[in-house]
Amino acid sequence: MKFNLSIKNILIIEDYGVMRRSLKEMFYSLGARFVDEAEEGASAISLMKSKPYDIILCDYMLGEGKNGQQILEEARHKQLIPFHCIFIIVTGHQTASLVLNTIENKPDEYLTKPFNAHQLIRRVKKSIVRKDYFLQIKKDIKKDNLASAIFHCDALLKTENKATHTSLLKIRAELAVNTGDFEKAQAIYNQILDQRELAWARLGTGIIAFYQNDFQHAISIFKQVISDHPMVLESYDWLTKSYEALEQPDNAEQIIIQVTEISPNSFFRQQKLALLTFQSEHLEISEQAYLSVIELGKYSVHKSPADFSGLAKVYSKINKNNEALLTLDNMCKQFPHNPEAELRATTLQTEVFKKTGNSNLSQQAFERTMELHVEQKKHIPKDLRLDVARACYLNNDKELADDIIYSLIFNHSDEKAFMISIGQMQTELGQENNTQQLIQKAKKELVQINNKGVELFQKNKITQALAIFNQAIERMPDNKNIILNMATILLHNLKSSGVTKDKLLLTNYYIKRAKQVGISPDKLGNLQLEFEKITHLHS
Amino acid sequence: MSDPTNTSINFPAILASSVHDIKNSLTTVRELIAHIADKQHAHKNHNFIQLEFEVNRMNNSLVQLLELYKIDSEKFNLDIDENSADEILQEIKAQQAPLLELNQIKLSIDCAEDLYCFCDYEHICNALNTILNNAQRYTNTEIHLSAYQEQDYIVFCIEDNGAGYPEQLLSITKTEAPLISHLSGSTGLGLHFVAMLAKLHATKDKKGFIKIDNDSPLGGARFRLFLP
Repeated sequence: MKFNLSIKNILIIEDYGVMRRSLKEMFYSLGARFVDEAEEGASAISLMKSKPYDIILCDYMLGEGKNGQQILEEARHKQLIPFHCIFIIVTGHQTASLVLNTIENKPDEYLTKPFNAHQLIRRVKKSIVRKDYFLQIKKDIKKDNLASAIFHCDALLKTENKATHTSLLKIRAELAVNTGDFEKAQAIYNQILDQRELAWARLGTGIIAFYQNDFQHAISIFKQVISDHPMVLESYDWLTKSYEALEQPDNAEQIIIQVTEISPNSFFRQQKLALLTFQSEHLEISEQAYLSVIELGKYSVHKSPADFSGLAKVYSKINKNNEALLTLDNMCKQFPHNPEAELRATTLQTEVFKKTGNSNLSQQAFERTMELHVEQKKHIPKDLRLDVARACYLNNDKELADDIIYSLIFNHSDEKAFMISIGQMQTELGQENNTQQLIQKAKKELVQINNKGVELFQKNKITQALAIFNQAIERMPDNKNIILNMATILLHNLKSSGVTKDKLLLTNYYIKRAKQVGISPDKLGNLQLEFEKITHLHS
Repeated sequence: MSDPTNTSINFPAILASSVHDIKNSLTTVRELIAHIADKQHAHKNHNFIQLEFEVNRMNNSLVQLLELYKIDSEKFNLDIDENSADEILQEIKAQQAPLLELNQIKLSIDCAEDLYCFCDYEHICNALNTILNNAQRYTNTEIHLSAYQEQDYIVFCIEDNGAGYPEQLLSITKTEAPLISHLSGSTGLGLHFVAMLAKLHATKDKKGFIKIDNDSPLGGARFRLFLP
């Protein structure tokens, strides 16, 4: 491949003047002509908005403000990094890459200081060649065109290029996992493991076991990976998930504590720790974790009002009512004109003011909560709806509270952790029986609706079946089963009674929805592949 | 009041964190030196060459110290993957390129393009870099890098036409794990570190190891790293 730095748009992000100048000189000495520089995140982001870069070299430690990882996340989130662009994060030491490592949002390369111009150009070249080689596959994956990704991956594998063979196999195995083709994935991992004990292949076999609901086996594999490779942090995440699936929250908590000790700066791990310890009422740990989340999120796209209200709930629970109110005020300042933040604030204020004897203020907060609840209805996250229900119970509006809980069960009956939260909240308010009744009633109705729809479908009364599921989705837009069945019927309808553009769009919408609500690849993969085949034929 | 004699300090952790700070400063020093050399067009000045070498050496030692600390505190982790042997040799050549140029040392590489080995890329590059940094210090005019397969091992070989390893070093490293107390100077620590790293590259029945001797066809020192 011809490589010419003089036509590349290059951006250097480095806070330290001497270093920045020296990097710029390095690029010039290598023939580059278009080199921009930024000292910190905000100006880097605005430069990225102004033009598409080919190469971005970004220091990890940038003083106050966003760090390199956060710039990468924000830039990807805002789609400011073109597909072909390589993003390199510069770190002070090697293990940084491992500790920073999150599954999403890896840069193309890590570069360890110090390095000279020769090393820089080698790394840049290598990265560009690699990016170019995998470009089509990565594009397909990003656009969810998994069948096309598999096709391109298999084509490249056939060329038997030794330099890329193992990387291709890794991608191919991941594609197989994500389309529910576990046999293929297992075969690839075994093939690799026969040759050499590689952490990612071993981890892969654990992920397969996890998706096949063989959690005990998955746990033993993840434990083995951790003992052989203590810095492969993904295995801690999977191990946590496995314990949660087995409803062993204590074990899950222990693992998440372990991994946050190794990588204390991981936003999502601290967030998970905060949630798990809130549920287990290890409130001191939860408080610390929430404080870390808020600190880490300060300059991040992941910053969210839920973390502030989470912290406020911890304070309220340990009767630090003043701190709870201050945290809510702080949230409203951090998220001005944000309806969700306002609803979170008034919902919790209802309870905290009540506890501190300010019944007037509590009443006001509750009234505002009711207004906001009506305004935002469909867009309210489930944890917040649960909090609103709690506020209703506390204000003796049992009817509305039951309504909300019923709808939550309707929508999320298959999410174990969340159902436990509902149960916990009701227990705290002395209403266990109420929940049990609501759960039974909701599940019964759910089964009825679902069965009716499926029965019509099996009798080939497609239009009627679709009507049933359409109604169901009106009432429970987040219910996994309903969404999955809807997608299945729509796909069948495409195959059996012809393709129109509208039908394609609708089917595509529900397959995407199914993915959004977290339906696992073993259930969704095949639908996705079949759908792609149909669209491929008609494009 | 707290009793200062009673405060347990975690000396290794403090040392590691200081080493880390020094390493960061060193990066800056290095950039400043380069900048000054640039301004004064003094790249070929012997003092600057010496400075660059010493800074490299300090950096290598600090990296080794940090790695040894991690091994000791069980925070060490190899990221094993399949890597091109040629890539590794090219990378360490790039690392030493400015110095080699200045010292007018001829460096040749001999490696099949399709030779692959399972190893931790960054760690192996670092380790070989330490050895190469020394080789270019002690050689006369020439260094040869090569990689090849020998039975079940991939061998990385660095040899030169200098005076060779001193007898004392050769005798110590003949034992499997050279005792650190018997080694002096950064060459000794460097070898100890590479030997340790080699050993951590293990399959079910084989472990990596190093060999040093003065049997190079070039007439000087020969270092070999064997990875299973």
